[in-house]
Amino acid sequence: MIKSGSFYFSKSHEWVSKGSNDKYRIGISDFAQSELGDVVYVSLPEVGKNYKKDAKIGEIESVKSVSEIYAPVDLKIISVNSKLNDTPELINQDPTGNGFIAEVEISNDSDIEGLMDEVKYKTFAESSHHE
Amino acid sequence: MNNSETKKTPLYGEHAKMGAKIVEFAGFYMPLYYKSIIEEHLNVRKNSGIFDISHMGEITIKGKDASSFVDYVFTADVSKIGRGEIVYALILNEKGGIIDDVTVFKFSDDEYMAVVNASNTQKDFAWVRHVQNDFQKKGKDVTVQNISDDIGLLSVQGPKSRDLIYPLISDVVKIGKCGLFDFKFQPKNIKDLKHFEFGCAIFKDVNVEAMISRSGYTGEFGFEIFVPAEKTVILWNYLLQNSNLSNLLPIGLGARDTLRFEAALPLYGHELDETINPYDAGLEKYLSDTKDFIGKEALKNIKNKEKRLIFFKLSGKQIPRHSQRILDENLKPIGCIASGTYSPSNKFPIGSAYISDAGVNVSYLKDFFIDIRGNFEKAEVVSPPFHKNFKTGK
Repeated sequence: MIKSGSFYFSKSHEWVSKGSNDKYRIGISDFAQSELGDVVYVSLPEVGKNYKKDAKIGEIESVKSVSEIYAPVDLKIISVNSKLNDTPELINQDPTGNGFIAEVEISNDSDIEGLMDEVKYKTFAESSHHE
Repeated sequence: MNNSETKKTPLYGEHAKMGAKIVEFAGFYMPLYYKSIIEEHLNVRKNSGIFDISHMGEITIKGKDASSFVDYVFTADVSKIGRGEIVYALILNEKGGIIDDVTVFKFSDDEYMAVVNASNTQKDFAWVRHVQNDFQKKGKDVTVQNISDDIGLLSVQGPKSRDLIYPLISDVVKIGKCGLFDFKFQPKNIKDLKHFEFGCAIFKDVNVEAMISRSGYTGEFGFEIFVPAEKTVILWNYLLQNSNLSNLLPIGLGARDTLRFEAALPLYGHELDETINPYDAGLEKYLSDTKDFIGKEALKNIKNKEKRLIFFKLSGKQIPRHSQRILDENLKPIGCIASGTYSPSNKFPIGSAYISDAGVNVSYLKDFFIDIRGNFEKAEVVSPPFHKNFKTGK
């Protein structure tokens, strides 16, 4: 059962969360932003487009590197966080809040159940840190 | 990396304790940033920053024939500088390609030290040793030594860096030992050093003697501090304990790169390598025309520039990266990116590139594009540097 307000994580460090209004948001994890460093540009996904799980939906550039954003589950983009165009640093400051990437539609809640919950993800992120 | 293990500077433990993001660079585990590249960069421009650059190499050249040796190995007029002075120079191969860019410190007519890029220390040392052997075979007196592991090197940079250093030191102005070095001349007071001069001082509270040069790689006023390796941790922590004197922050390699690039200072492996000659790189002013040096003969035959280094900025927000393609207005490839980054001071992406066709007139390059993963981003030529703070820098 997917809980509103909880975060579910993919192995590529994206999160999905169901809001109280039954809308879903996606973004990148705090671990991912801390690995990237200062974010200076975000290439956002296309509004209205359907993406399969693990498809590339955008890019995040930090001073030092570029990394891709993948769809954590099958989804459709409803709207994007256009604040990121002028203030990409929101991803560093508040990756699971004001630094979200997009609002999305997800047809199967059960897809989300295949992701890691916060506890499992914490262990996963710590182990990838020491790779 | 010569199948050897990744090395650590004496400060590795301090970086880890501070939670720095550690990366492998030039065979060393080095801090990329402590908190934020942008914050660290801006603090160096406004206040001051301290860098661990102990990974850099130091090679000493000693002997009666050291002066003729340095003049032969390095492109600039090295032996002509005064004792206590530093000169920037290149090491070229026989074909005129750039083996490394270095600074050479003169202690006396028979003693010099070259500070070389960490990524090139092994290669440079093998090269100078090879030349040393040739010299020795001809009965000349010169010995080179790689003392890199014995030296800790800290860099303090920024307009306020003097507010940190001056109160903490007492000058050593006598002839004789200075830490690991032997001064055969009377050094100046640190306050009186001009850009590219060096002296000796003791950090009073911790009793660490150090060679201090007025030099750096940021375009700012600053110092580089050479200490015995085992004293590096003491001095690093002491300077950071006094950070309030100059709003000092520890600075990682990420900001070292953005700072050097805004100042349009070349980086080996980006603007320079063995396929690039000094004319390509716009470094002809570091070639002596009064003496012979390795590579000089080959350079005489380089009549036409094969490529040319340009600097540019982007109007978009995507960051150009090393080796991406440059396209002309008809989308024909004309070159490759040497360095590309985000400019924290200007808040836009900047880069440098080698334009491969000698016929391309740079002023005609009004509209050109960078192929950033399939997006053609518009770029514009700018004349370097991207950031000027040289009132205090020199």
